[in-house]
Amino acid sequence: MELLRTQHLSKIYGSGDACVEALKDVSFSLQKGEFAAVIGESGSGKSTLLNCIGGLDTPTSGKVLLDGLDLFSLDENKRTIFRRQNIGFIFQAFHLIPELDVEQNILFPLLLDYRRPDPHRLNELLDILGLSERRHHLPGQLSGGQQQRVAIGRALIAKPLLVLADEPTGNLDSKNSRDVMDLLLKASRHYQQTILMITHNTALTSSVDRVLKVSDGVLTDLGGVRV
Amino acid sequence: MKQLMKKRQMKNYLDLVPVSALVHRRQSRLTRFCIALSVFLISCIFSMADMQIRTLYTQTIQTDGAMHAMFRDLTDDQAAVIMARPDVTLASRYETLNYDVSPDYTVEEKPTVICGFDESMLELYPAAQIVEGRFPADPSQAVATESIRKQLGRKIGDSIVLKTPDGPLTFTLCGFTGDTSLLTDRDAFGLFINTDAYRQYFSHTEGTSSSELFVQFSPFCRIQRVIRDICLQLDIDESTVGQNTRLLALMLQTDDYYILQLYLIAAVLASLVSVAGILMISSSMNSNVARRVEFFGMLRCLGAAPGQIVRFVRREALNWCRTAVPLGLFFSVVTVWGLCAALRALTPSYFTGMPVLAVSLPGILLGGITGIITVLFAVRSPSRRASRVSPLTAISGNAGTVPAVRQSAYTRRLPIEAALGLHHAAGSKKNLLFMSGSFAFSIILFLSFSVISDFMRHAIRPLRPYTPDLSIISQEGSGLIPASLEEEIASHPAVKRVYGRCFAYQLPAASKDGEIVIDLISYEEHQFHWAQNALLEGSLEDAVQGVGVLAEYVPSSNISAGDVLTIRTEQGTYQIPVAGILSDTPFTKQADLTNVICSQELFSRLTGENRYTILDIQLRPGVEDQDVEELRTMTGGAFTFSDQRLENGETRTIFYSFSVFVYGYLAVIAMIAVLNVVNGIAMSVSARMKEYGSMRAIGMSPGQLTRMIAAETAAYVGGGVLTGCIAGLLLNYYLYRLSITSRWGTPWTPPFIFLALILGFVLLAAVFAVIGPARQFRRMSVTDTLNIS
Repeated sequence: MELLRTQHLSKIYGSGDACVEALKDVSFSLQKGEFAAVIGESGSGKSTLLNCIGGLDTPTSGKVLLDGLDLFSLDENKRTIFRRQNIGFIFQAFHLIPELDVEQNILFPLLLDYRRPDPHRLNELLDILGLSERRHHLPGQLSGGQQQRVAIGRALIAKPLLVLADEPTGNLDSKNSRDVMDLLLKASRHYQQTILMITHNTALTSSVDRVLKVSDGVLTDLGGVRV
Repeated sequence: MKQLMKKRQMKNYLDLVPVSALVHRRQSRLTRFCIALSVFLISCIFSMADMQIRTLYTQTIQTDGAMHAMFRDLTDDQAAVIMARPDVTLASRYETLNYDVSPDYTVEEKPTVICGFDESMLELYPAAQIVEGRFPADPSQAVATESIRKQLGRKIGDSIVLKTPDGPLTFTLCGFTGDTSLLTDRDAFGLFINTDAYRQYFSHTEGTSSSELFVQFSPFCRIQRVIRDICLQLDIDESTVGQNTRLLALMLQTDDYYILQLYLIAAVLASLVSVAGILMISSSMNSNVARRVEFFGMLRCLGAAPGQIVRFVRREALNWCRTAVPLGLFFSVVTVWGLCAALRALTPSYFTGMPVLAVSLPGILLGGITGIITVLFAVRSPSRRASRVSPLTAISGNAGTVPAVRQSAYTRRLPIEAALGLHHAAGSKKNLLFMSGSFAFSIILFLSFSVISDFMRHAIRPLRPYTPDLSIISQEGSGLIPASLEEEIASHPAVKRVYGRCFAYQLPAASKDGEIVIDLISYEEHQFHWAQNALLEGSLEDAVQGVGVLAEYVPSSNISAGDVLTIRTEQGTYQIPVAGILSDTPFTKQADLTNVICSQELFSRLTGENRYTILDIQLRPGVEDQDVEELRTMTGGAFTFSDQRLENGETRTIFYSFSVFVYGYLAVIAMIAVLNVVNGIAMSVSARMKEYGSMRAIGMSPGQLTRMIAAETAAYVGGGVLTGCIAGLLLNYYLYRLSITSRWGTPWTPPFIFLALILGFVLLAAVFAVIGPARQFRRMSVTDTLNIS
């Protein structure tokens, strides 16, 4: 079942001499439960692609269809609500809210929706993330690996259709990187979670279903193991 | 930036300062704005105070003269000793006769005051300046007041006869001088002669005042010490030396206890203004430098020594001062120009001497120096903090651009955005203290300065609606004023309104408390209308209809509305109900006497009299002296024709000029309060932009972000308002007691209007403070915000 489709996506920054074409006519689709990795050199347009798919950035032209809905046909407010209910984000720099503890950070997307959190789901996630003992710690009291695990929990709590991970291991050492990858794989396998992950570490792509490569804004499907 | 780099070859690490300022343009703009605002506040308030002192100084010289002290009963030798002192810059002998305006000394049947003084008196008392002619050179010459020229048609060279109990004296007029309010009020003439003439004609006359010596000292000497020294040297009783207290007070040269208390108040207010400026700058610097700790950590990482970081931050601060301080000073100068223009427009006759583009050097110096010194002091702590940043923590991204969090936000019962907003405000006690303290200070400042407004209303009685321009007063023996004269005067085109009053003094009466004494006064419709504001209880209706009376409130009396007064007159005994109680009337309040007001009709019924004791006249704007002379002619010579226009003009001028400054202070403080709140919130938002970007990325809507800022603002403003109101009211109470209760006995009442005003301003500012970031959030690019941060 197709979950995500991009149609002729392009993004141009600047104009005239300073014009940079970050994405050039990108079209691809992801099936539900698929774990795909996007690789590419620094500055190739990977993050721009992820931001456009996540609705954080507006493409110059083209469409992003998530579960059949054109993301950019919604106004800013509705898109924000759609995003927080259907897309989970994991950033390289974690972007946790320093004033919220582990539990509150994970529940943040639900709290933004004024929804009552399901304690079983929270406990289950905390167990999987290995953060049960640290549920009331503030981000400042956690290691980088633990902070990224909180960010993964936050991305998964609302059971989103799609999780977008932008270099989730970029700030971590090899052990923590492995842990984070294991968690993402577990989410993909255990919850049938669709994940699109950016990385420039090709070693991490060995366990994903499909690999896409972005080079100078052009996307190439390198195929995968499980498609 | 590229242009900047191209233009300037960096030769020193400090050359990075302007480059960094360009990159952090927005943050540095807010900081510069804050510095400019503080400099503006300090400079503006002190410049205005300086201008106010200058204005009052000019006015005081006009009304009270430029002399500093007056010595009485001196021998010529003693006077010569004083005049020869090097610290005496000007002195004049002064003697006066018929100061109480008796009919013993007259010119053409009109009471005349005679003054004898030296020519230097004209400098000491500019109001006596000769407008035409010259000072009397010999005993046969005299200078006359303007009214003699107007009323008697005399000119220079004419002779004038002064009738005295010892026989007539003839003088040749050699000049004319302006009228004084004292003379026009009492409908009297004035004749000025020189001291030698005065001594020749009046030295042995009964009723003449003793010789006085008016002295002006050098402004650079300590006047009180010099006066004491003179008294000691010449064996003069110090208590007999008169002082021009107002002028000396304005020169900071008085020992008067009350004035010293006023100095204390001025010092408190000046300190408050300075502290408010210092607080604003400190909070802004703290926030600006703290936000860039990571950057300083990076500099440390690249090899900058801690001392170099301190120098860098200091240079940055001075760089901000370079534009912000002149900007603040410029706006303060422009504001002062506006005030001066307002003063000139309000009373052009008094303030023509005031320069259009007046600049207060003390105000500018104080504003500039305080601004720069505060910036250098305020930057010390954050620059040290920046220099102590470990290079490792800085590059790991954990240096923290916002205060470290020790406790998580309370999200159980509050919506997430409100919980986060409140946590942002209360998370850092220091930040909360600075922000709320700075808002509170604006309120404290406003409430403290509002005391000056009450002080002004007590010290300068503003003109009441019933204040007349002219009064026709019946004299003993001349009989009362007929109603026909009222009609005749009312028909004159220059007259706006005429209203008469009849008086029956010291009538025996009885109230529920027993026997009392009353002054019965009649009112007509205008006066009843003006009395409405003073009505404490009851209504005016019955009094206007002539079936009741109004009684003025006297603390010792228990009369209340509904009581019945028994009034005994020559016509009989009458039982009249009290329709209402007035808090105040234009008449003197006496402890054992009650002022009772009734209609003219009732007055006539009770006393049998329907003629007026006083006829008050209010004139239309732009009335000429010619019109007043016509009105004077209408009254004939039988009644006193009191011209109060000069006195009213003086009162109005002083009141207006004082008002311009008082409300100027309050307006500046209110404006600072608004800008301070708006800027404070903008800085707080700017400091957390990275966090807001994250929140937006995770799914927080612009509306939720706005509500978060609103909650944060509410916390700061709530804290500020609470602290500001409590401390402000306490200070208001203290200053009120010191300046007003101690002098006039008026008990303190909470300044509700000023309180409502400043709270309104602060709440309005809070709304504005949230609107700005709300717009910013709507325009915010999430990816840009995340990438920049």
